[in-house]
Amino acid sequence: MATTTETAAAAPSLKRRFMELLAKPWSGVAMLLVFYLILIAVFSILSPFFFNTRNMLQIGLNVAYIGLMAAAGTPLIIAGGLDLSVAAIAGLTGVMISLLVGLGVPVWVAVGLALALAAAIGVANGLFTTRLKLNPLITTLGMMSIVSGIALVLTGGLTRPLMIPGFNWIGNERVFSIPIPLIIMVVTFFALWLVMTKTKFGRFIYAAGGNAEASRLIGIPVERTVIVLYVISALAGAVAGTILGAMLGAAGPNAAGSQLLTVIAAIILGGTSLNGGRGSVWGTLLAVLILGTLNNGLTLLNVSSFWQDVTRGVVLMLAVSLDQLRNRALGE
Amino acid sequence: MSSTARLSMRGIDKSFGGVPVLSNVELTLEAGEVVALLGSNGAGKSTLVKILTGLYSRDAGIVEVDGQAVVFGKPADAIAAGVKLLPQEISVMPDLSVGENILLGDLPMKPGFGFKQVDYKTIHIRATELLAQLGFEALDTHQDVKRLSVAEQRIVEIARAIAGQARILIMDEPTAALTEQEAELLFAIIRRLKQQRVSVVYISHYMSEVFEISDRIVVLRDGRNAGDFVTRDTNKAAVLAAMIGATAGDLYPTEPPPPPGTDVLKVEGFGVRGKIADVSFAVRSGEILGIFGLVGSGVEVLGRALYGAVHSERSGQVTLDGRPYRPSTPQHGKEAGIGFVAAERKKEGIIADLTVRENIALPFQNRFTRGLFVSTEAETGHAQNWIRDLGIRTRGPEQKLRTLSGGNQQKVCLARWLVEGVKLLILEEPTRGVDIGARREIYGKLRELTAKGYAVIILSSDVEEVAGISDRSLVLDRGRVVEEFSRGVTPAALMAATAETQTA
Repeated sequence: MATTTETAAAAPSLKRRFMELLAKPWSGVAMLLVFYLILIAVFSILSPFFFNTRNMLQIGLNVAYIGLMAAAGTPLIIAGGLDLSVAAIAGLTGVMISLLVGLGVPVWVAVGLALALAAAIGVANGLFTTRLKLNPLITTLGMMSIVSGIALVLTGGLTRPLMIPGFNWIGNERVFSIPIPLIIMVVTFFALWLVMTKTKFGRFIYAAGGNAEASRLIGIPVERTVIVLYVISALAGAVAGTILGAMLGAAGPNAAGSQLLTVIAAIILGGTSLNGGRGSVWGTLLAVLILGTLNNGLTLLNVSSFWQDVTRGVVLMLAVSLDQLRNRALGE
Repeated sequence: MSSTARLSMRGIDKSFGGVPVLSNVELTLEAGEVVALLGSNGAGKSTLVKILTGLYSRDAGIVEVDGQAVVFGKPADAIAAGVKLLPQEISVMPDLSVGENILLGDLPMKPGFGFKQVDYKTIHIRATELLAQLGFEALDTHQDVKRLSVAEQRIVEIARAIAGQARILIMDEPTAALTEQEAELLFAIIRRLKQQRVSVVYISHYMSEVFEISDRIVVLRDGRNAGDFVTRDTNKAAVLAAMIGATAGDLYPTEPPPPPGTDVLKVEGFGVRGKIADVSFAVRSGEILGIFGLVGSGVEVLGRALYGAVHSERSGQVTLDGRPYRPSTPQHGKEAGIGFVAAERKKEGIIADLTVRENIALPFQNRFTRGLFVSTEAETGHAQNWIRDLGIRTRGPEQKLRTLSGGNQQKVCLARWLVEGVKLLILEEPTRGVDIGARREIYGKLRELTAKGYAVIILSSDVEEVAGISDRSLVLDRGRVVEEFSRGVTPAALMAATAETQTA
């Protein structure tokens, strides 16, 4: 009888220790950092072209427009929202700029108009999900279909040229040898970090996502907070579309569509809870870099890009599993 | 084995992260015995129950069922040994029939068309038999469970446990969602279970229930046994003393109320469509106004309607400090100087993933904002003040609120409103699920706040609380005020006031 009690006590200790580790607030970011460093080490060993300043900056440039969308999506998911239309907005933005310039509108005015349209789409997303209490997944999925459909109608499905004097520098120039898109992305992450952790609005984001009803009952403008975040996400989509168009010198109606999954994967992998209330932009940034590094490294190793879709899916599902485990750990 | 007790737990130890939660705890249960398990939140009740039901493993100690030593590695092991927990929240499948719900764990099957299929005929026969054991053969086993009252759903749940051969039932706050009459029904069932030699561990915050239904009372305090009483040979004072320890005292503050000041809130002919009609009262500064009502009386709507958290159409005149006041959002109520604490702490009160500091500072962020940014130092200073003042037991302002006990979470919810400019506190069920020590502290603090000029409205379905704390009390029934009492009213008089209109 004594032996049975002893085994009962000893068995769960390893699992429990792992769960306790998961419940720590920094565990997510720490694990990502370790994973990132391992990834860099492995690719450095496997490919002589991987570890150098040029390639590292190239990874940064490749992920800049994705990171921008993921950065803005992070506070939105923390507050309990979700934006699946963001990548479609990026596509429509490039198309809008190209068409408006074709009509004789000055390019930066065209960019401004495209941003305004994005903001309106964000407001619509926000109003539908808060005032009408529609499910954000369905609402923004519908919006994604509408927006990318409009972009296809406007272009007839064709990619339009976007080589405009005084415009393409925003995608191609460098400042102190750092690509401008990368700078824009890093500044966005930093600004969002400031807003989320240092301001009243930031407190509202975490409160609304942590417990919307409790927040409403202490007089926090939950709906307004969420609507503003949808607008920020849509604007990030528009800026991403602008940068991508400038980089490529072309605007495809579905230029960024394939990256929607990467954006969502990065946010979840970064430790932001799909249930809302928890997460940080630094986790998202690390996750964006990890996904970009994976892509880059696999390309250097001559792995087919089709396999890269598989890797991204696996990483996403691992991230969601980890999120679920962490929820359970916090519940105990 | 010399012991023939139905259940014997001895020398149970359990610690989390090096902090002992249970040390050398003992609990025995004879066949057909009802034992009430009492203790403040954090005393170790729920940990002990989780060990008994296989959710946690014990660090040390022995558990025997009918003299057989057992180890429950998972909840299914405990159920197989006849130990069944009825959690506070009723868990039934609303879209299945009564019969299906009762026999869900072991559906009778019959052969047919080459494969086994569910034998519905047997389901309803056996379910009716089981209900008859509880005295409810009249319940139609064909109807969907979602059509039943909460009390009837409880009965279905108990019948399901009996169907699973449960010999030890653990009931956690079983009357939480029941009316007085429904609770009586539950007690009748428990008495029948006793006759069938089923043993019950009964967990409740309501002392009167415990004395009505239990044979023995086991008290835990700080993870140790603090008392074991034969119910008919003891009294509430003795049990209370064991629960709160050496410093036992009266639960409610004894100091006289301050002389009442001017009217803070005046309500005339107030109504909420479909819920409340023609309610009139005033509350003065320095006063605690208790509003008592059972579930469904309107007590769960009145407070939030006055705060601005109800969308339904309202009627009547409300004045705050002599000025007309018509709130339509919680922001209005807050800006007008009203603080509100909701009944359902987990769902509507705490923000579990935020820290104690963030939770306390949340409603009035502007006061901690310097320029563009919130000053964490200002928030911390403010939070620390109230942690000290209210005796919030926490490792510090940076602890996540989810890890605090219910009583301490409730103090945090209260602390949110203790800032300059708030003059009226509307508190729904202010001590629901709060342990006795913290209750006493909260009541004492409310008295202290009124001395500083606050007006307090308490809306509660806990009759003892309203009787004990109120300077004046109203009884709400079917959306109307049916009686008004002054300080010193007895719980029986309050209860009688609702009963009168219900039989009329």
